[in-house]
Amino acid sequence: MKIALMGGGDFVDNTSIDKKVLALLENKKNPLFTYIPSSFYQSDIEFNELIEHYEELGLKRFIKFELDASYGIAFKKAIFKSDIIHLGGGNTFYFLKNLRRNNFIHELKNWVHAGGILTGLSAGAILLTKNINTASFPEFDCDENEENLKNLKAMGLVPFEFFPHYRNSKRYDRELLNYSKTVKHPLYASSDGAGIVISDDEISFIGRTACFFKGTKNFINK
Amino acid sequence: MTVVKKQKHKLIDDYRKFKQIDGSHPFKKILPNGFIDYPARIRRGGKVSYFNFELAKKMGLISKNADHTLTKELTEEIYNTFSIQIINEFDQMKGRKFKAEDMKEGTYMATRYLQMQHDDKKGLNSGDGRSVWLGHLKHQGQAWDISACGTGATRLSPATSKYNKFFETGDPSIAYGCGYGELDEGIATAIMSEIFHNNNIKTEQTLCIIEFKNNISINIRVHENLLRPSHFFLYLKQDDYKSLKNITDFYIQRQVEAQLWDTKLTGKKKYNYFLDKLTETFAQISADFEDQYIFCWLDWDGDNILMDGGIIDYGSIRQFGLFHHEYRYDDDDRFSTNILEQKSKAKYMLQTFVQAIDFIKTKEKKQLNHFANDKYLENFEVRFEQRKNENLLKKMGFSSKKSAQYLKRYAEDITQFRKTFNYFEKAKVKTGMVRVPDGKTCDAVFNMRSFLREYPQVILAERIKLSDEDLIEMIQSVFAEAEDIEINNYRRQKLNDLQDQYIEIVEKMSSLFQEDFDETLMKLIKRSHVVNKPNRITGDAVTYIVELIKEHSGRMSPEEIYNLIQDLVVNQNTNPDIKLSSKVIKPNAVLQKMFNVIRMHREGL
Repeated sequence: MKIALMGGGDFVDNTSIDKKVLALLENKKNPLFTYIPSSFYQSDIEFNELIEHYEELGLKRFIKFELDASYGIAFKKAIFKSDIIHLGGGNTFYFLKNLRRNNFIHELKNWVHAGGILTGLSAGAILLTKNINTASFPEFDCDENEENLKNLKAMGLVPFEFFPHYRNSKRYDRELLNYSKTVKHPLYASSDGAGIVISDDEISFIGRTACFFKGTKNFINK
Repeated sequence: MTVVKKQKHKLIDDYRKFKQIDGSHPFKKILPNGFIDYPARIRRGGKVSYFNFELAKKMGLISKNADHTLTKELTEEIYNTFSIQIINEFDQMKGRKFKAEDMKEGTYMATRYLQMQHDDKKGLNSGDGRSVWLGHLKHQGQAWDISACGTGATRLSPATSKYNKFFETGDPSIAYGCGYGELDEGIATAIMSEIFHNNNIKTEQTLCIIEFKNNISINIRVHENLLRPSHFFLYLKQDDYKSLKNITDFYIQRQVEAQLWDTKLTGKKKYNYFLDKLTETFAQISADFEDQYIFCWLDWDGDNILMDGGIIDYGSIRQFGLFHHEYRYDDDDRFSTNILEQKSKAKYMLQTFVQAIDFIKTKEKKQLNHFANDKYLENFEVRFEQRKNENLLKKMGFSSKKSAQYLKRYAEDITQFRKTFNYFEKAKVKTGMVRVPDGKTCDAVFNMRSFLREYPQVILAERIKLSDEDLIEMIQSVFAEAEDIEINNYRRQKLNDLQDQYIEIVEKMSSLFQEDFDETLMKLIKRSHVVNKPNRITGDAVTYIVELIKEHSGRMSPEEIYNLIQDLVVNQNTNPDIKLSSKVIKPNAVLQKMFNVIRMHREGL
């Protein structure tokens, strides 16, 4: 399984993570990259920024697939020909709802297990974990559940939860520590530009990531 | 030096330009019989609910670096300049008196123009029925005409013409003709005109909206030049040589002064240049409206369009999600033209201008049909066809430079591809015509923007042609039933042609520009997903968005409403040449609701 979870920031902020991810391609010739934005809001701007960024890293073929637009079956089939699929940032609840509505949770998991590289930034990263509980806090910087989603179960590709846009401050830590007391698994919190890359036999932490577990906090990287 | 700069800055921030909006306009001197002049007073009891800050900066009303904040001073300036009501014939007959401090110094003109809903068909009593021109401004070489809709009933309204009496402004016994503007219409116009303007479609723009109780508003519109063909046509209909010549000369002069036209020509050559320009304009807008699915009710009176092809009066303007070419607007006593008939109406307007110019040149007015085969109309057809080809390449995602090179060499390819493309674009559901709230239509079967957006991406990924079934499934609209998408032999051939012709164009383009196929395809993808965005705003969506804004307006400041509309405009950008940066903010709840509305109605009217 090859996945990457990014804490947030602009594309250029995540260059170190991207390089690590691109190494997983093992020199594959002319790989195909699909971008799935969380919503159509600003997605065309983001797509062109994404292309500009990854072209500099050597990629040449890109597709954008919007879950909240209508699309043909042939187009959906085409994206699973990709070597990398990247889930963008945005409202995690809205994103999850549309992934489910389009039966993408199951299909993306199958594709990852078949060798595809799945990456996610912010909301996109949370979706790779067990659930999207972390999108609901802290109160001062959380996603609005306008969709009124009750079932917050996500892809469950990793045995931990993920908190993006982490800032090393008391008010963040207070909420994260409290939450970590209520769950049995670790919660990794990454700052913008930081993240986690997981390949079949290796887990790499890039940039500042803290682990919150049973009421304690430990930095993996400072 | 520093002192001078400071003074200059101070003068701009003193809102000096507002004072110039006092009802004066050069039109008054040129055509003294072309308008009714009204005294006016400030209308109290309203509030500024929308102000277009960026437009105000372009006009020099506020300084270039001004914050987007309605200060008390700015609000007062806006209110005192734009919240006016004319003292009309009814008021004058009743001898109504108004507070001296509320009286405006200037007088404001309601211009005369031809309107087909008036029975005389000559424009004797028609024109601005609920609008007046507030004035004009020049700033940094650009000219602006400013008018206000909803400033009171004039004697040029359809109601006065029909009942032969003057009406009190706001008379509840008449709807269209009472002189008031509507808030819904004002907001809808502000939204659509900003989106169109951003996407390089010429249009009036909304500078501000003053809101009153009961959904009433004064809507301020601006454009470089607010003259319409109908301003010219009434003099032609009335055989008024002098006025026709005056308005034509006046228009040409203003275009040159504003550096919109570049001619030093005089005499008859000047008028040929005028016709050349109009030929280009009307051919272009006819093609553009069709290709961008813009419904704009063009008719013989030239009332619903500006001289430069800009859209004015958004009452019936729509942007369709699909090519709903059977839609007709129901205007109570008649149905409008449909989107395909717009071209013939534009051509008819051009023919009328050819007749008018001939009248000016010869002083002899000939019959209109005398000009049915005029060279300008032939040029119109040529230019229309060229523009249609350019538009299709643009919609595919090619840049202007690439399109121009391609068309120089292989124009016939595009004409052939257009035929295939149009076959799908024009397919209608078998259930036939249906009534819709404001008219009638027959739904389109295919969404060809889906093809232009998705197909190059599928080819990039799969590198093989699609099966007929997969292609049909890709392009079918939400309206298509099984019987609408049956694949017979003819359609099978068309599906095959669609893919073959598309790929051939991409191949030839890549060869022409010495790129490999994937590179050309990738450049197309980068542009076509912007040009053919799946969630494009439609007329139906605007109706619901206006309701949303009204619902939340009590909790939103004018600045917030402005920002909301600007966010929407950025989201609806279909110009791939504009480089935008993504913001890190998340859409707020109202904007998210707007997006949901747009998504729900994306294939509608």
